Amino acid sequence: MLTLVIGGAASGKSAYAESLCLQSPLPRTYLATMQVWDAECAARVARHRAMRAQKQFATVECPLHLDRLTLPQRGTVLLEDLGNLTANELYAPDGAGDNTAEAILDGLEKLAAQCDNLILVTNEVFSGGADYAGDTALYLRALAKINNAAAARADRVVRVVCGIPCDYKGGKKT
Amino acid sequence: MLFITGPLYSGKRTFAARFGGRQIFDVQTLAAAAPDLEKLADELAAYDVVIATEIGGGIVPMDAGERTAREAAGRLACLLAARADCVVELFCGLPTVLKGELPKC
Repeated sequence: MLTLVIGGAASGKSAYAESLCLQSPLPRTYLATMQVWDAECAARVARHRAMRAQKQFATVECPLHLDRLTLPQRGTVLLEDLGNLTANELYAPDGAGDNTAEAILDGLEKLAAQCDNLILVTNEVFSGGADYAGDTALYLRALAKINNAAAARADRVVRVVCGIPCDYKGGKKT
Repeated sequence: MLFITGPLYSGKRTFAARFGGRQIFDVQTLAAAAPDLEKLADELAAYDVVIATEIGGGIVPMDAGERTAREAAGRLACLLAARADCVVELFCGLPTVLKGELPKC
Protein backbone atom coordinates (compact mmCIF):
# COMPACT_ATOMS: atom_id res chain seq x y z
CA MET A 1 0.00 0.00 0.00
CA LEU A 2 1.43 3.37 -1.07
CA THR A 3 0.02 6.60 0.37
CA LEU A 4 1.09 10.09 -0.69
CA VAL A 5 0.41 12.89 1.79
CA ILE A 6 0.81 16.40 0.38
CA GLY A 7 0.34 19.82 1.91
CA GLY A 8 1.78 23.30 2.23
CA ALA A 9 4.11 24.53 4.97
CA ALA A 10 2.73 23.86 8.45
CA SER A 11 -0.47 22.36 6.99
CA GLY A 12 -0.47 19.46 9.44
CA LYS A 13 0.76 16.94 6.86
CA SER A 14 3.44 15.45 9.13
CA ALA A 15 1.10 14.94 12.07
CA TYR A 16 -1.46 13.34 9.75
CA ALA A 17 1.11 11.04 8.12
CA GLU A 18 2.34 10.00 11.55
CA SER A 19 -1.22 9.23 12.65
CA LEU A 20 -1.59 6.96 9.59
CA CYS A 21 1.55 5.09 10.68
CA LEU A 22 0.27 4.63 14.21
CA GLN A 23 -2.81 2.89 12.75
CA SER A 24 -0.59 0.59 10.67
CA PRO A 25 1.11 -2.65 11.70
CA LEU A 26 4.57 -2.75 13.32
CA PRO A 27 7.47 -2.53 12.80
CA ARG A 28 7.69 1.19 11.99
CA THR A 29 10.59 2.86 10.25
CA TYR A 30 11.05 6.59 9.84
CA LEU A 31 13.20 7.66 6.88
CA ALA A 32 14.71 11.01 7.77
CA THR A 33 15.92 13.16 4.87
CA MET A 34 17.44 16.21 6.56
CA GLN A 35 21.14 16.78 6.08
CA VAL A 36 22.84 17.44 9.38
CA TRP A 37 25.09 20.51 8.97
CA ASP A 38 25.82 21.67 12.49
CA ALA A 39 25.15 21.27 16.21
CA GLU A 40 21.74 22.93 15.92
CA CYS A 41 20.66 20.38 13.30
CA ALA A 42 22.08 17.55 15.39
CA ALA A 43 20.16 18.68 18.49
CA ARG A 44 16.96 18.87 16.47
CA VAL A 45 17.53 15.40 15.05
CA ALA A 46 18.21 13.96 18.52
CA ARG A 47 15.00 15.48 19.91
CA HIS A 48 12.88 14.17 17.01
CA ARG A 49 14.45 10.71 17.27
CA ALA A 50 13.57 10.53 20.96
CA MET A 51 9.99 11.65 20.27
CA ARG A 52 9.56 9.02 17.59
CA ALA A 53 11.18 6.26 19.66
CA GLN A 54 8.26 6.61 22.08
CA LYS A 55 5.98 5.86 19.13
CA GLN A 56 8.03 2.77 18.28
CA PHE A 57 9.68 4.22 15.17
CA ALA A 58 13.19 3.14 14.27
CA THR A 59 14.89 6.07 12.54
CA VAL A 60 16.99 5.56 9.40
CA GLU A 61 18.85 8.56 7.98
CA CYS A 62 18.56 8.86 4.22
CA PRO A 63 19.43 12.35 2.99
CA LEU A 64 20.77 11.01 -0.35
CA HIS A 65 20.82 7.90 -2.55
CA LEU A 66 17.43 6.42 -1.66
CA ASP A 67 18.00 3.92 -4.48
CA ARG A 68 20.91 2.38 -2.53
CA LEU A 69 19.03 1.97 0.75
CA THR A 70 18.48 -1.44 2.32
CA LEU A 71 15.81 -1.41 5.00
CA PRO A 72 16.48 -3.35 8.22
CA GLN A 73 12.85 -4.51 8.44
CA ARG A 74 9.56 -4.56 6.48
CA GLY A 75 6.33 -3.24 8.04
CA THR A 76 5.38 0.44 7.78
CA VAL A 77 7.73 3.13 6.46
CA LEU A 78 7.26 6.88 6.73
CA LEU A 79 9.45 8.96 4.41
CA GLU A 80 9.61 12.64 5.28
CA ASP A 81 9.88 14.43 2.98
CA LEU A 82 10.26 14.35 -0.81
CA GLY A 83 10.88 18.11 -1.00
CA ASN A 84 13.94 17.78 1.18
CA LEU A 85 15.20 14.71 -0.64
CA THR A 86 14.83 16.49 -3.98
CA ALA A 87 16.82 19.51 -2.79
CA ASN A 88 19.57 17.23 -1.46
CA GLU A 89 19.88 15.21 -4.67
CA LEU A 90 19.74 18.34 -6.83
CA TYR A 91 22.29 20.43 -4.94
CA ALA A 92 24.65 18.09 -3.05
CA PRO A 93 28.00 17.57 -4.85
CA ASP A 94 27.48 13.78 -4.84
CA GLY A 95 23.75 14.01 -5.52
CA ALA A 96 21.90 12.94 -8.69
CA GLY A 97 21.91 16.47 -10.18
CA ASP A 98 20.06 16.61 -13.52
CA ASN A 99 18.89 13.04 -12.95
CA THR A 100 17.23 13.84 -9.60
CA ALA A 101 13.60 13.00 -10.43
CA GLU A 102 14.48 9.68 -12.09
CA ALA A 103 16.85 8.68 -9.27
CA ILE A 104 14.27 9.41 -6.56
CA LEU A 105 11.45 7.66 -8.43
CA ASP A 106 13.72 4.63 -8.87
CA GLY A 107 14.49 4.79 -5.14
CA LEU A 108 10.78 4.94 -4.29
CA GLU A 109 10.09 1.79 -6.33
CA LYS A 110 12.88 -0.05 -4.52
CA LEU A 111 11.64 1.23 -1.19
CA ALA A 112 8.06 0.13 -1.91
CA ALA A 113 9.36 -3.38 -2.65
CA GLN A 114 11.07 -3.53 0.76
CA CYS A 115 8.07 -2.76 2.97
CA ASP A 116 4.35 -3.52 3.32
CA ASN A 117 3.05 -0.02 3.80
CA LEU A 118 4.80 3.10 2.49
CA ILE A 119 3.71 6.60 3.46
CA LEU A 120 5.34 9.50 1.62
CA VAL A 121 5.14 13.09 2.79
CA THR A 122 5.63 15.78 0.16
CA ASN A 123 5.31 19.51 -0.28
CA GLU A 124 2.82 21.66 -2.15
CA VAL A 125 4.96 24.62 -3.30
CA PHE A 126 3.48 25.21 -6.74
CA SER A 127 0.74 27.81 -6.29
CA GLY A 128 2.85 30.90 -5.71
CA GLY A 129 3.72 31.81 -9.30
CA ALA A 130 4.66 30.47 -12.71
CA ASP A 131 7.67 32.59 -13.57
CA TYR A 132 10.71 30.99 -11.97
CA ALA A 133 14.27 30.93 -13.24
CA GLY A 134 17.46 28.92 -12.72
CA ASP A 135 17.77 26.62 -9.74
CA THR A 136 14.27 27.34 -8.44
CA ALA A 137 12.69 26.34 -11.76
CA LEU A 138 14.81 23.16 -11.85
CA TYR A 139 13.79 22.28 -8.31
CA LEU A 140 10.09 22.88 -8.94
CA ARG A 141 10.13 20.85 -12.14
CA ALA A 142 11.90 17.92 -10.46
CA LEU A 143 9.65 17.89 -7.40
CA ALA A 144 6.50 18.18 -9.55
CA LYS A 145 7.63 15.24 -11.67
CA ILE A 146 8.19 13.17 -8.53
CA ASN A 147 4.91 14.24 -6.92
CA ASN A 148 2.82 13.58 -10.04
CA ALA A 149 4.43 10.19 -10.69
CA ALA A 150 4.09 9.20 -7.03
CA ALA A 151 0.41 10.27 -7.07
CA ALA A 152 -0.20 8.20 -10.21
CA ARG A 153 1.47 5.19 -8.58
CA ALA A 154 -0.15 5.65 -5.15
CA ASP A 155 -3.15 3.70 -3.87
CA ARG A 156 -4.15 6.73 -1.88
CA VAL A 157 -3.44 10.48 -2.20
CA VAL A 158 -4.38 12.80 0.66
CA ARG A 159 -4.03 16.58 0.59
CA VAL A 160 -3.87 18.10 4.07
CA VAL A 161 -5.37 21.58 4.35
CA CYS A 162 -5.34 23.37 7.73
CA GLY A 163 -4.86 19.99 9.40
CA ILE A 164 -7.86 18.48 7.56
CA PRO A 165 -7.12 15.45 5.37
CA CYS A 166 -8.88 15.59 1.96
CA ASP A 167 -8.92 12.45 -0.17
CA TYR A 168 -7.84 13.00 -3.77
CA LYS A 169 -7.46 9.35 -4.68
CA GLY A 170 -8.47 6.10 -2.99
CA GLY A 171 -9.54 6.14 0.64
CA LYS A 172 -13.02 6.94 1.77
CA LYS A 173 -14.74 10.23 0.98
CA THR A 174 -15.24 12.20 4.15
CA MET B 1 -15.62 25.77 -22.81
CA LEU B 2 -13.60 23.64 -20.41
CA PHE B 3 -11.52 25.68 -17.96
CA ILE B 4 -8.55 23.91 -16.38
CA THR B 5 -6.73 25.45 -13.45
CA GLY B 6 -4.18 24.19 -10.95
CA PRO B 7 -0.68 24.76 -9.60
CA LEU B 8 2.44 24.92 -11.73
CA TYR B 9 3.42 21.55 -13.28
CA SER B 10 0.32 19.85 -11.89
CA GLY B 11 -0.41 17.98 -15.14
CA LYS B 12 -2.90 20.41 -16.73
CA ARG B 13 -1.69 20.09 -20.34
CA THR B 14 -1.36 16.32 -20.16
CA PHE B 15 -4.95 16.17 -18.93
CA ALA B 16 -6.16 18.66 -21.57
CA ALA B 17 -4.63 16.71 -24.46
CA ARG B 18 -7.38 14.10 -24.40
CA PHE B 19 -10.10 16.66 -25.16
CA GLY B 20 -8.64 18.04 -28.42
CA GLY B 21 -10.27 21.06 -30.05
CA ARG B 22 -8.91 24.61 -29.87
CA GLN B 23 -6.82 24.96 -26.74
CA ILE B 24 -4.95 27.87 -25.17
CA PHE B 25 -2.41 27.64 -22.34
CA ASP B 26 -0.94 30.01 -19.76
CA VAL B 27 -3.74 32.55 -20.04
CA GLN B 28 -2.73 33.97 -16.63
CA THR B 29 0.08 35.74 -18.51
CA LEU B 30 -2.45 37.65 -20.65
CA ALA B 31 -4.31 39.22 -17.74
CA ALA B 32 -1.93 42.00 -16.67
CA ALA B 33 -1.78 43.67 -20.10
CA ALA B 34 -5.51 43.41 -20.83
CA PRO B 35 -7.36 46.74 -20.72
CA ASP B 36 -10.66 44.92 -20.21
CA LEU B 37 -10.66 41.54 -18.40
CA GLU B 38 -14.34 40.87 -19.21
CA LYS B 39 -13.63 41.29 -22.91
CA LEU B 40 -10.55 39.05 -22.68
CA ALA B 41 -12.60 36.41 -20.87
CA ASP B 42 -15.26 36.57 -23.60
CA GLU B 43 -12.61 36.08 -26.29
CA LEU B 44 -11.01 33.18 -24.43
CA ALA B 45 -14.39 31.55 -23.87
CA ALA B 46 -14.54 30.92 -27.65
CA TYR B 47 -11.81 28.27 -27.22
CA ASP B 48 -12.73 24.68 -26.39
CA VAL B 49 -10.17 24.39 -23.59
CA VAL B 50 -8.61 27.25 -21.61
CA ILE B 51 -5.76 26.59 -19.19
CA ALA B 52 -4.49 28.90 -16.46
CA THR B 53 -1.83 28.27 -13.83
CA GLU B 54 -2.83 29.19 -10.29
CA ILE B 55 -0.31 31.81 -9.15
CA GLY B 56 -2.18 33.38 -6.23
CA GLY B 57 -1.08 30.99 -3.50
CA GLY B 58 2.22 32.54 -2.45
CA ILE B 59 3.41 35.58 -0.55
CA VAL B 60 2.18 38.93 -1.85
CA PRO B 61 4.95 40.12 -4.20
CA MET B 62 7.07 43.13 -3.18
CA ASP B 63 6.97 44.51 -6.71
CA ALA B 64 3.86 46.57 -7.57
CA GLY B 65 3.79 45.29 -11.17
CA GLU B 66 3.88 41.68 -10.02
CA ARG B 67 1.12 42.39 -7.48
CA THR B 68 -1.09 43.85 -10.21
CA ALA B 69 -0.37 40.94 -12.56
CA ARG B 70 -1.18 38.38 -9.89
CA GLU B 71 -4.41 40.18 -9.00
CA ALA B 72 -5.47 40.37 -12.67
CA ALA B 73 -4.68 36.68 -13.19
CA GLY B 74 -6.92 35.71 -10.28
CA ARG B 75 -9.78 37.89 -11.47
CA LEU B 76 -9.46 36.52 -15.01
CA ALA B 77 -9.66 32.97 -13.65
CA CYS B 78 -12.93 33.84 -11.86
CA LEU B 79 -14.39 35.33 -15.06
CA LEU B 80 -13.35 32.25 -17.06
CA ALA B 81 -14.80 29.86 -14.50
CA ALA B 82 -18.10 31.77 -14.64
CA ARG B 83 -18.20 31.38 -18.44
CA ALA B 84 -17.06 27.73 -18.48
CA ASP B 85 -19.39 24.75 -18.85
CA CYS B 86 -16.93 22.75 -16.82
CA VAL B 87 -14.12 23.73 -14.44
CA VAL B 88 -11.42 21.23 -13.45
CA GLU B 89 -8.59 21.66 -10.97
CA LEU B 90 -5.51 19.53 -11.54
CA PHE B 91 -3.45 18.71 -8.45
CA CYS B 92 -0.53 16.31 -8.46
CA GLY B 93 -1.77 15.08 -11.83
CA LEU B 94 -5.20 14.27 -10.38
CA PRO B 95 -8.30 16.06 -11.73
CA THR B 96 -11.14 17.34 -9.55
CA VAL B 97 -14.26 18.63 -11.28
CA LEU B 98 -15.29 21.88 -9.52
CA LYS B 99 -18.20 22.80 -11.81
CA GLY B 100 -20.36 21.06 -14.41
CA GLU B 101 -19.46 17.81 -16.13
CA LEU B 102 -16.43 16.85 -18.17
CA PRO B 103 -17.01 16.89 -21.94
CA LYS B 104 -16.76 13.58 -23.81
CA CYS B 105 -13.22 12.87 -24.95
